[in-house]
Amino acid sequence: MLDPTVSPVSPAPPGRRTLRLGVAGPVGTGKSSLIATLCRELSGEFAMAVVTNDIYTDEDARFLRSAGVLAAERIRAVETGACPHTAIRDDITANLDAVEDLEEEFAPLDLVLVESGGDNLTATFSPALIDAQIFCLDVAGGGDVARKGGPGIGRADLLVVNKSDLAPYVGVDVGRMVADAEKARDGRPVLALSRSDAASVAELCAWVRGVLAEHVDGRHVPQDPGPMAPHSHGPAGHDHGHEHGPHTHVH
Amino acid sequence: MADEDDPGAAARGSGTGALGALLLADARLPTGGHAHSATLEGAVAAGLAAEQVPAYIRARLRTVARTEAAAAVLALRAGRGRPVDYGPVQAALAARTPSAPLRAASASLGRGLTRLARALCPGHPAVAGLATATAATPGLRPLRPVVLGALGAALGLTEAQTARAVLYDDAQTVTAAALKLHPGDPLATVRWVVDAADDIEAAVRAAVAVAAPADLPARSAPLIDQWAAEHAQSTRRLFIA
Ligand SMILES: Nc1nc2c(ncn2[C@@H]2O[C@H](COP(=O)(O)OP(=O)(O)OP(=O)(O)O)[C@@H](O)[C@H]2O)c(=O)[nH]1
Ligand SMILES: [Mg+2]
Repeated sequence: MLDPTVSPVSPAPPGRRTLRLGVAGPVGTGKSSLIATLCRELSGEFAMAVVTNDIYTDEDARFLRSAGVLAAERIRAVETGACPHTAIRDDITANLDAVEDLEEEFAPLDLVLVESGGDNLTATFSPALIDAQIFCLDVAGGGDVARKGGPGIGRADLLVVNKSDLAPYVGVDVGRMVADAEKARDGRPVLALSRSDAASVAELCAWVRGVLAEHVDGRHVPQDPGPMAPHSHGPAGHDHGHEHGPHTHVH
Repeated sequence: MADEDDPGAAARGSGTGALGALLLADARLPTGGHAHSATLEGAVAAGLAAEQVPAYIRARLRTVARTEAAAAVLALRAGRGRPVDYGPVQAALAARTPSAPLRAASASLGRGLTRLARALCPGHPAVAGLATATAATPGLRPLRPVVLGALGAALGLTEAQTARAVLYDDAQTVTAAALKLHPGDPLATVRWVVDAADDIEAAVRAAVAVAAPADLPARSAPLIDQWAAEHAQSTRRLFIA
């Protein structure tokens, strides 16, 4: 019989050394590239590993291995049964298995990066899988995306507006996009990033170092962006996903 | 010691057995099943057509799934015994699963179920005893039917409920994967499962009748083994196995 005295929730063991950092966001916004950048910049400083969630192939894992930024055996791909959002939120089994295996094989690890399969704006990581998460948009998706909101845009630990170097070609005002995002995030950080802009890469690394230090000190508390976020109904009505819950209308 | 379903238990509102049987058969159980296809993806890659999927379900119910259901019943009995020892059933099942990718897939599903069992009822002897399975097959985690049997013991399932949960889950894993691999009407796939009822019940009876690990049927399916091996080498896949 079930033992009612035992809590069914199993929180991360206190004092787990490794920071598990998720990178989510729509398809092609530069998640793998961001992870490659972090590996290149930080793997001399920290012991790292990577888990990728590919949808059809192990291409992301192969891209990262071929980038030569981290030893190939520290990069694992998991299959998601064509449900990338499920694999990072509702049933995180495959990802937890991969993360735990890497942490055991390469102990002690400082940082495990988990790339979600490129998915829609509503997909965020469960706090049972990761300690902190980056949500990655790019300017090529259009300047309006940040304003549209969603749990990742609104409440991920860091919002990255990626490929800022492309802004002039796609007619996007990066400053405006960042300001819109900041408004949607109640002061949580937003970073305009381009892999070819060294200053922005340095800011990204500084943010990761900061979270890592807080995690090691036990000051970092994982936040769940949640599956739901305040959203607005455009003139056409529904621009949100398939969830139906308490709606907060922002006009 | 025929172990019939006991509708009285549910009516009396006692125990978690009836509810547990539904839980273990629910695809929403967060134990990793959604990333598995019961080798259907490998079969489709080798040319299995949409209209052959019901036959594929039946073939599994008469071969690999039957062995797994019987193993789950043996594990359920082991989980009720004191001291708990899953070693004999784990070793017997591993020996009857000749395909390395299929052993790995079963161990991966077993790992997810073990995580659930430890979160749900860590102090239960049937769950604490799962270490005896690994001890019998070093390097191989407790296989899915062994952990399902352990959970069945912890939740108070009957032998028939445990066997049926294994068989139903096998059939539903195929239908759910079929919707991602072949175009089709989701409602039509429900018919495939209902049509498999006789095969499922025959396999339930066979599973409950198995007396000891040495009698565990060795019903592997060579084509499924081959498709699983090819799938494991594939670089384009949706499902783990
Ligand atoms: N101009 C520019 N292109 C970039 C930048 N970062 C990534 N890209 C390009 O954007 C494309 C997608 O990058 P990925 O890193 O594969 O994106 P992803 O989000 O991992 O993609 P999926 O995993 O398929 O969802 C590639 O062609 C990259 O070269 C950047 O900072 N500037
Ligand atoms: Mg990628």
